[in-house]
Amino acid sequence: MSFEAISNLVAAFLTLCIFSFLYKDNPFYKFAEHLLVGVSMGYAIPLLYENAFIPFVYRPVFFENKFFLIIPAVMGILYIFRFTKNLSWLSRYPIVFTMGIVGMSVPMSMHSSVLVQMRNAMIPLDNINSILIFVGTMTILMYFFFSKQHKGVYGKVTNIGIWFMMIGFGASFGYTVMARISLLIGRIQFLLGDWLGLIK
Amino acid sequence: MNFFDRMQALDRRYIYLVVALAIIIPLLIPFNSRTDTTEPTENVYKMIDSFGNNPDKAILLCVSHDASTMAELFPMEVSILRHCFERNVKVLTICFSPPSAPLVDYAINTAKEDFPHIKSGEHYCNFGYKPYGLFLPILLGMGEDIAEAVETDAEGRKIANLKIMENIKNYDDMNLVIDFSAAATVFSWITYARVKFGANVAAGVTAVMAADNYPYLQSGQLIGMLAGLKGAAEYEKLVDVFASQQKDFSKEIIRGERVPITGDHKTYGTNIPMKFKKARIGMNAQSVAHIMMIVFIVLGNIGYFVTRKKKKLD
Repeated sequence: MSFEAISNLVAAFLTLCIFSFLYKDNPFYKFAEHLLVGVSMGYAIPLLYENAFIPFVYRPVFFENKFFLIIPAVMGILYIFRFTKNLSWLSRYPIVFTMGIVGMSVPMSMHSSVLVQMRNAMIPLDNINSILIFVGTMTILMYFFFSKQHKGVYGKVTNIGIWFMMIGFGASFGYTVMARISLLIGRIQFLLGDWLGLIK
Repeated sequence: MNFFDRMQALDRRYIYLVVALAIIIPLLIPFNSRTDTTEPTENVYKMIDSFGNNPDKAILLCVSHDASTMAELFPMEVSILRHCFERNVKVLTICFSPPSAPLVDYAINTAKEDFPHIKSGEHYCNFGYKPYGLFLPILLGMGEDIAEAVETDAEGRKIANLKIMENIKNYDDMNLVIDFSAAATVFSWITYARVKFGANVAAGVTAVMAADNYPYLQSGQLIGMLAGLKGAAEYEKLVDVFASQQKDFSKEIIRGERVPITGDHKTYGTNIPMKFKKARIGMNAQSVAHIMMIVFIVLGNIGYFVTRKKKKLD
């Protein structure tokens, strides 16, 4: 039996173990679930050690005398204190540092997520799509304006906003269903095609 | 107990069984369902195609997903790599999560099987896995100098010395980034690579993420998008109709062209490799499953209203 056939057999067995949950919870499902967690961690730790610790900490510090790298390395280690009761406050320092980096993205996020989007909502209303986008944007913004009661004409306008949101949620949900079915298709393609060779 | 009462009380496991059959049968008995291409997919295709046979241009594929979403994203990656190899487009790949690393290798190896002349370091280069902590420094650094930001490829070679990097310095040359993701990582490419350096960004996303990306598509911040298995199927068709036959993209041709996945194909005859039609075969099953679900939803609603009316009358 070739390596590929053995690996397909193992993958097929584990796939069926996971699918068995659809009937009811059982030891095969639990075994496959725990194995996945273990294998994922077992795979990630040495990969990170090889690709992060060795080239960016060990080698520069011990072979290139870049001792300043000890500071960020120690800062990273402070994360581990999160698991101790008395010294967990130490983990806040690397978190604060990380938050500072996140802050760097604020002006650019503002540009891409707010300004450019606003600019594209202010285009001439010369086709049906532009009109729909304009009406949708305005009515939804009005719906989220809570300083005025949603009654009378204003209430009717905000109702249109609700309809737009419902259509948006429906599209999202439809896409989600499609995604889940796609995953099932992928697994069944593997079982019938790669494993059993029934798909031509 | 009438039919609708029984439907309301139906064990969910019967529904699972019907869903399974709705998928298994179309996969075992494939048929040529229609695959209409959409503009977001065509835009990605056209931009990659415009880089064809141009040694001064390259594209970057960032793989940001694990095996759990392979069903949707892997056919996209294989199709785009196949397109690049057919049209002689320089292609660079990178990933920032450990589970993505073997998937990049797998996609490249799957696509290049049919292209014996394609060589690593010359036609394509896998930058390999880089720790996520370096995501931002690399993303920003590539705006200045790719070779300095990434340093080495997956095989440990200095990127600056590779033939593929001749004339490729930063986002001006590597002017298309496609992020394959099941999460929101494409926003980082838009926020930094697009806003700061003007790089063209496209997304290959799972269907779940597609709705979130449409506003960016509408505003032009994404030049194109492949959405879920449908996007992958569309791209497979575009590569089959144009790239595999060295033709330029034409809206008129793609509208009228029916590409059979079971019958005669201009390049592969009756034996189209499974890897080049996986998404389209999957879409057959997808269509049947969707019809079945619509029937279930309609029946369920009729059952609900009939039962409610009966309760009121009682």
